[in-house]
Amino acid sequence: MSRADLAAGNVIRMSLLFRVQHLLLTVLLTVLAVTGFALMYHENSLARWIIRLEGGVHNRGITHRIAAVLLMANLVYHAFYMLLSREGKPELRQFFIGRQDIDDFLQSLRYNLGMAKEYPRFGKYGYKEKFQYWGASVGIVLISVTGIMLWAEEFSMRFFPKFILDLALVIHGYQGLLGFVLLYLWHIYNVHLHPSVFPMNPSWITGKVSAEWLRREHPLEYEKLKEEGLL
Amino acid sequence: MKRMIRPFLAAALAAAALFLTAPAGAAGPDVGECMDCHGDKTIEKTLPNGQTVSLHVDLQAYRSSVHGKDSCVTCHAGAKAPHEKLAMVDCGRCHGDSAKSYAMSSHGKARAKGATDVPGCSDCHGKHDIRAPKDPAARTFRLNIVGTCLQCHKDQALEQKYNLPGQQVMIAYQQSVHGLASSKGGLTGSAVCPDCHGNHTILPGDDPKSATFRQNIPTLCGKCHSGILEKYEASVHGKGMRAGIAESPVCTDCHGEHTISRVSDPNSPVFARNIPKTCSGCHDKEGISSRYALPKKRFSSYMDSFHGIAVEYGMTKAANCASCHGVHEILPASDPASSVNKANLPETCGKCHPKAGPNFAKGNVHVEVSPSKAMGVFAVRLFYTLFIGALAILFALHVGLDLYGRWNRRKENGPGGKEGQS
Repeated sequence: MSRADLAAGNVIRMSLLFRVQHLLLTVLLTVLAVTGFALMYHENSLARWIIRLEGGVHNRGITHRIAAVLLMANLVYHAFYMLLSREGKPELRQFFIGRQDIDDFLQSLRYNLGMAKEYPRFGKYGYKEKFQYWGASVGIVLISVTGIMLWAEEFSMRFFPKFILDLALVIHGYQGLLGFVLLYLWHIYNVHLHPSVFPMNPSWITGKVSAEWLRREHPLEYEKLKEEGLL
Repeated sequence: MKRMIRPFLAAALAAAALFLTAPAGAAGPDVGECMDCHGDKTIEKTLPNGQTVSLHVDLQAYRSSVHGKDSCVTCHAGAKAPHEKLAMVDCGRCHGDSAKSYAMSSHGKARAKGATDVPGCSDCHGKHDIRAPKDPAARTFRLNIVGTCLQCHKDQALEQKYNLPGQQVMIAYQQSVHGLASSKGGLTGSAVCPDCHGNHTILPGDDPKSATFRQNIPTLCGKCHSGILEKYEASVHGKGMRAGIAESPVCTDCHGEHTISRVSDPNSPVFARNIPKTCSGCHDKEGISSRYALPKKRFSSYMDSFHGIAVEYGMTKAANCASCHGVHEILPASDPASSVNKANLPETCGKCHPKAGPNFAKGNVHVEVSPSKAMGVFAVRLFYTLFIGALAILFALHVGLDLYGRWNRRKENGPGGKEGQS
């Protein structure tokens, strides 16, 4: 954190590498959703229009696969980075889910209902972020496995009966729906529409949030930074 | 002596001349005599309605016709020179069989009732210039006959009067694989009108005696396409048809009739992309499925599959109905010879997916998502639907609660408060 940032009251929340990974994720998931749902709802007139726009069902498939390969590469890179790098290891630790998160969740409900005085005090990642992170990760792994099964159909056909591939197809599609519709909406609310960040939390572009925001939203992280003399 | 012989000679010559020019012993005029008048290009008569009709006979055309070696009176029996209006020529005197079958045809019946605008012999064959059907100059030559039929069958007035098929049918034929093969390709083996409709015996398609009557169609097409007829006869459709099941498809149900075109023609009902629609024309009908105890939802389950989507969007390499079920030789899956019999599925799938083994062929190919037909897919779909629905409700509640809390604390200035966060 540069002195200028500190002077302006800004705190780094996403390093450049994470921002790149996040941006890739955003673009690729959008491409995958557009090309994927067009196929899933191929009878719909909007889907027909999209497929025509993508240059037919064949080119749609190629686009979808290119985006999928990049997404999986992104996922693998991210996994290694979180497991092995100096920056990633402590970051991953902060994403672990514990008893505290359930308590925080329940306390936030009680707080909003007026049954608790204190709002839960989150660290760098609260239950909303953790839910988002693990939900997306598990979803992407599941959708990647089924996607590879369907892509390598000659290979799959040798080992699996057809109904396994039928199941893979259903899981692939509905997992996509779950991921896109729900996690995306959840995420959009939390980082764009939520009154504390509206119109958006700038950290995905600049990497920074205000120290004041951090103090209110993630007080434990704020105090930790202060203790370490970073604020 | 000479004086005595001369009258005899003259008489003998005259007799010989008479004998040679009129071998049948008829006392009619010879061709030359007829041509004295009818060779004149300006000779004509006026009908009561004021129309004039040329009475000129082109001797050249007559001489090169099939009847060129005969005499005028062979057909115009009893004609004298000069003469008034002659009787109608009766071709049936020589061509008895043709006249008999013509009399039973639609044309013949209408003409017997006095219609003059339906074709008699001369309208198709010509008059003095009749040539054998094998003669490329004949009206009835295979490459000319379509034009001959269309003389009348392109006439809209006649169409309406006799309730004939419309122009588009004729145009469709001309653009069909058969029409183009003869008109463009010059193939004499391609089907022309009388090949299907008959020549003298022509009858409408709803007459059981007609060659184009539904039940007669396979035999009719099989005249040329005999190899295919053989396959068709052995198929479930062919057997059904022979058993008198009128719903069982005949050639024209899939291929069309006058519109018939190549399999590679994107407009053909048997073009790869159009096959699912063509088959489902019957196989997506509730009545047909239940009458013949056929599995249901074949069309929708196919259209939702990878194959269906690919074909729908023009990837004709992907499997359509015929790729697995066969074409003319279609058999029910219960038949051991069927390409979709369980035992033959690995081989059938293997045509495109060489690695798909017996393991792959387990389970249903058409996935009809219902508990009894595809429990796994049904359950997973149900789970996801409920899960997504439940999560959506929980998310909405969470967001709602969040906003509710903020509203209540709108005057405070703390976390989750007026300017705060939650």
